[in-house]
Amino acid sequence: MEAVRVRITVNGEEHVKTVPTCMTLLRLLREELDLTGTKEGCSKGECGACTVILDGVPVNSCLVLAYQCSGRSVVTIEGLARDGLLHPVQEAFVRHGAVQCGFCTPGMIMSAVALLDANPSPTQREIREAISGNLCRCTGYKAIIEAIDDAAQRMAGWVDSQAADEARV
Amino acid sequence: MHDFKWVGRPVTRVDAQGKVTGEQKYMGDLKFPGLAYGRVLRSRYPHAAIRSIDTARAEGAPGVIRVLTWRDVGGLNGYGIAIPDQPVLCRDKVRYMGDAVALVIAESPEEAERALALVDVDYEPLPLVDDAEAAMLPDSPKVHESGNVHMQTHVENGDVEQGFAQSDVIVEATYTLPRQMHAFMEPEQGVGVPGPDGEATVYCGGQHPYRDQMQVSRALGIRPSKIRVVTSPTGGAFGGKDEVTLQILLAMGALATGRPVRIVLSREESTVAGWKRHPMTIYMKTGARRDGTLLAHQVRLVSDTGAYASLGGPVTNLALEGCTGVYRIPNIVMDGYCVYTNNGIAGAFRGFGQLQANFAVEHQMDRLADELGIDPVRIRLRNALRPGDPNPLGHHMVESVGAIPTIEAAAKCDIWANREEHCKQSSAPWRRRGVGFATEMQGTGLGVGLPDYGAALIRLLGDGTWTVGLSCPEIGQGNSTAYAQMAAEALEARVQDVKVFVGDTGLGPDSGSCTASRSVYTGGNAIFRAGAQMRDKLRNEAAGIFGCDPEEIVYSDGVCRRSDGSAGITVQEIGARAAAEGREITADGAFIWPVSKIQIPGAVGLPHIINTYITHVALVEVDEMTGEASVLRAFAAIDCGRVINPQGLRGQSEGGMVMGMGYALMEDTIIEGGKTLTPNFSTYIIPTSVDAPDMDTIACEVLEPSGPYGAKGVGEAVMVPIAPAITLAIKNAVGARVTHAPATGERVFHGMRCRDGCRGQGAGEGSIA
Repeated sequence: MEAVRVRITVNGEEHVKTVPTCMTLLRLLREELDLTGTKEGCSKGECGACTVILDGVPVNSCLVLAYQCSGRSVVTIEGLARDGLLHPVQEAFVRHGAVQCGFCTPGMIMSAVALLDANPSPTQREIREAISGNLCRCTGYKAIIEAIDDAAQRMAGWVDSQAADEARV
Repeated sequence: MHDFKWVGRPVTRVDAQGKVTGEQKYMGDLKFPGLAYGRVLRSRYPHAAIRSIDTARAEGAPGVIRVLTWRDVGGLNGYGIAIPDQPVLCRDKVRYMGDAVALVIAESPEEAERALALVDVDYEPLPLVDDAEAAMLPDSPKVHESGNVHMQTHVENGDVEQGFAQSDVIVEATYTLPRQMHAFMEPEQGVGVPGPDGEATVYCGGQHPYRDQMQVSRALGIRPSKIRVVTSPTGGAFGGKDEVTLQILLAMGALATGRPVRIVLSREESTVAGWKRHPMTIYMKTGARRDGTLLAHQVRLVSDTGAYASLGGPVTNLALEGCTGVYRIPNIVMDGYCVYTNNGIAGAFRGFGQLQANFAVEHQMDRLADELGIDPVRIRLRNALRPGDPNPLGHHMVESVGAIPTIEAAAKCDIWANREEHCKQSSAPWRRRGVGFATEMQGTGLGVGLPDYGAALIRLLGDGTWTVGLSCPEIGQGNSTAYAQMAAEALEARVQDVKVFVGDTGLGPDSGSCTASRSVYTGGNAIFRAGAQMRDKLRNEAAGIFGCDPEEIVYSDGVCRRSDGSAGITVQEIGARAAAEGREITADGAFIWPVSKIQIPGAVGLPHIINTYITHVALVEVDEMTGEASVLRAFAAIDCGRVINPQGLRGQSEGGMVMGMGYALMEDTIIEGGKTLTPNFSTYIIPTSVDAPDMDTIACEVLEPSGPYGAKGVGEAVMVPIAPAITLAIKNAVGARVTHAPATGERVFHGMRCRDGCRGQGAGEGSIA
């Protein structure tokens, strides 16, 4: 099996690993870096459970090969909280009861975070579209959509108040 | 309004933080030093005799540690909740394409995978049994030597011939129901870890760890105490992990190799090997008086349980119970057949036979309403069971009965009350809207004659906090949060000071399965009793410290006080004192389900006496060009007794509605010639965020006196009447009465084309895909 050296930044930390060319990003994260928050639900890009953010874009990490990520930056569910403080999307998922079995949750949250990074005030339709590749069998989606909408509003408020703070300085 | 401090409050899920951060480890995430990897060799044929199995080539393959076959099973080579008719590893016959023939354990998943092809199995293909009706014929090939009819049930009450003779109107139809897949997001996976002295720990998501332990122990021929089963958290189950999935293989692998062994099923393997909802054909004939009063009901139900029994028998009986709906019917005759075929396997699935039955009976009610020109709500109210009424099966409705409250509440919801307005609107000229209404009651608990109990253990720790241990696993439904709330209520403690341990035979007593909407009711009752015992023990402790009679001690809000006000001591101090003496203050509670005094002759498990009641309303838009239906809004009125956590109820209700929508509109596992044609999410389509309707839920709390704080259960009913509500909304929109679920575009379109020509016949033809 051919191996290849991969230099990859995951959640802000650089890793250098020698991995088989056929290793997926998902496998690299789960098996080599022990970041098991990213889940495997179908192995072929149908369920979204393995969604991570690759250079700002949400991807199914089961469809990306590890070597393709060399020199690139990945954010996983473990990389969202800062100093024990949850990301607003995580916080909103907790508050709205958008979590049940939790297996789709990391991928769902990563899709939501990528959406809000690109589009800070999405419509409900845009939220539904953004997570339409993330299957959930427990919640019926409504609480998830509400959580993302709420997070967007709180983040907008947070950005506004930060701008106001900066203006005062 | 009640004055509970924790019960009835939308307490944040105790497991939410770990799940949103990715810190929560699921059973397939666990790593152990020296981990080896297992892969299961599945059958090449849906029905074949095995002449020989030769593992020599596979054993010599690179990286392979062991190849296990039936020779290595050790105990009874069989499992199954009802009867152990499913081999752990097949010896002389395979009966479906998911049958396990060998387990390869290797240094890497890839090496295990490659070695599968090197296991030489000599098969002799046998004639296929792929139709449940045909399987019952005397000349059918046999799936099992005992014959293809696994179970047959006959229920009769009153005089059905006389009932039909007195009826002013009779409607009859045959309903065909699909093989729905659970589609839990976490495929079956776990790790078996060997311990000293032939012990093993099995980490694998499931629904009843103590029964898994029993089945592992029985199959391996070792004592249950040598096997610890850890199941929580499980990434969704819905009944599909009620039976053992990988537990026996994980334990076998660990004990045979002396190494931790992980097995993770691919989505495709999970689909082919796993249980499904029973496809059923239900013939119904229903008679009523001109005023809508039901007089007679005849049912013939055939259920395809696939290759093995699992819970096929109880599912068939619960379906029969569901065939009479929530109604008084004085004369019934019902026959149910649970039949073996080579069409995969079917078993427990949320709703447990009721989806199929309710779809049929609610369509019958709608036909009667149409024939008689009676409003769909009025005909249901006229016949709905009230407390004390005789149930069609022969027993009486003695427990809380919420049929009428949920029907009345649903009739007031916006989409029903203003349905004419809603139906005038449409997103395009070729799309039409309709509203459908359906109701259900779902028996909870396992039923008469089946052991149904629960236990809980509460410990007071030295720092004044509590642990509550019980075995009902957290499969996503939120029972661990409900347990924490009920324990906090019983102990007059803060919910954040209660740590709940679930789903682990090493950490809590047996409280049964997370099935049959039973875990809050059973576990809650056990906690309630353990809590009462704990309060007594605390008063005794305080009395000992103060040198007085326990009768003089009052416990409230975490403090034991002498009633004369002279002294008080906190639970923290009591816990610390006990710990300093090397003692631990524990209390246990056990609960046995109340069951009906009478048993329905010939129908194991029937009747169930504690029921969840639910009414669903759906607003649907149908594209007349394609027949495609989408659900715009849905409403649920639920009587599950006291709601322990409104956020939990909402989660169950909304998730159930969308899963029921999948059943009504899109989901069917297609098996042709024994082969699964829909093995993944590109071919087996479940609802996405774009499909989900807007949803509202209200609780109609008819308190159950035997329930903890008046609670019943809710996990299953939430997905049931939504399916007929949707298909009846389609009928109301475009006139197509679809009797063959799911109501795909093709079937609806076909129904529209023949709506005038074949009125009353319904639309069953038209293919899926």
